[in-house]
Amino acid sequence: MELYIENLHKKYDDKTILDIPRLKIQEGKITGITGLNGSGKSTLLNIIGGIDKEFEGSIRYNGKLLNKEIATNMTYVFQKPYLFRRKVYDNIAYPLKLRKVNKDRIEKAVQEILERLEITDLVNKKGHKLSGGESQKVALARALIFEPKLLLLDEPTSNIDPESIKVLEREIVRFNKETNGTVLIVTHNLNQAKRICDDIIYLSFGRVGN
Amino acid sequence: MDYIFQGFIEALKLLISFDPEVFKIIILSLFVSTTATILASLIFIPIGIYLGLKKFRGKRIISRIIYTSMSVPSVIVGLVVAILLSRRGPLGHLDIMYTPKAMIIAQTLLVIPLILGLTYNLAKNRGTIIEKVAFTLGGNSIDSIILIIRELKVDILVNVATSFSRAISEVGAVMIVGGNIKGHTRVITTTISMMNSMGDYPMAIALGIILLIISFGINSFIYSYSQED
Repeated sequence: MELYIENLHKKYDDKTILDIPRLKIQEGKITGITGLNGSGKSTLLNIIGGIDKEFEGSIRYNGKLLNKEIATNMTYVFQKPYLFRRKVYDNIAYPLKLRKVNKDRIEKAVQEILERLEITDLVNKKGHKLSGGESQKVALARALIFEPKLLLLDEPTSNIDPESIKVLEREIVRFNKETNGTVLIVTHNLNQAKRICDDIIYLSFGRVGN
Repeated sequence: MDYIFQGFIEALKLLISFDPEVFKIIILSLFVSTTATILASLIFIPIGIYLGLKKFRGKRIISRIIYTSMSVPSVIVGLVVAILLSRRGPLGHLDIMYTPKAMIIAQTLLVIPLILGLTYNLAKNRGTIIEKVAFTLGGNSIDSIILIIRELKVDILVNVATSFSRAISEVGAVMIVGGNIKGHTRVITTTISMMNSMGDYPMAIALGIILLIISFGINSFIYSYSQED
């Protein structure tokens, strides 16, 4: 999914949070959004993800404004993911159940994604009782399982161990290569952005910098 | 001190012998408070969730009204219902004053702010993130509501139990609109109050024990349920 942002302006209590005259996010690429704290990275992601609707300007997804069809083809992994108070299996299967996928296909898809993210041992654990790294892996699995056309990730590897970071990065890249899904990843870590991103956007005080 | 000890002995005798009067009082108390809690819950849990999630102008004022009304004294609720249902009142033609129906109405009005306020607060604090997750995974408004209720079911149950406890333990409203008529509108709290003023402690203690058992039972159930979750 290609994104085209035009005249995006976001204010909070007279303070400009975002001011982006024009920005294009290319389809099928991994784009990193980096910048200092308070530079507007997460706000931009919230606006693109349709969570924050109070802004001026327009965002076009493959030339269209956000609608139900676009919303069901994208997903968002939060910095502190919320996992349901149910088993990991049910957490990961949830997007497929919403899409009325049959039970056998759900079981197969969940098994596959659990293996890829190396979390098969967590399948029967309760989602809300997992550690930070485990939660991030489950949240990513839940996002990837329905192969969205746009994947939005807000600091998906903050505060987790290096081994888990490796797994998450590997699976983000694999998803991008195998499905041609567009990935937008907010990260503080410039090295990580260089490692996995095709393009990097640097935000400074709400504006796109170099 | 002897009369207290004697009171306990007599109370246990009343309970063990399944005294019909005691059990009639207990059953009416449970019926009135359970009905009131169910009625208030069915209507005001969805409203509380909706108000907690929805952004609208005047939300702050609405929150203040809800929170303030949570602490309305039960006698005030009883008085309002009595004024409405009394023969000269606007709903006097219904002829339900001093009946269990009037008591149910009074207790429903008493627990509505509690159910609404607690659910509203829950939805505002935790429901918002659940709604976002449902949306980002492709869910619509109905999916969000179902998910929120599923995720918050234990907390909602605790709120319902809290409201039931408020209903079954209040004395002011049911005393005013029920009139504490023997065999007709007499419930645990009004009986305890009356027996205390008459100096008849065994019955008061027996019903006090029952009230504690009910309260303990509900809280134990909620606790074990939340531990399983």
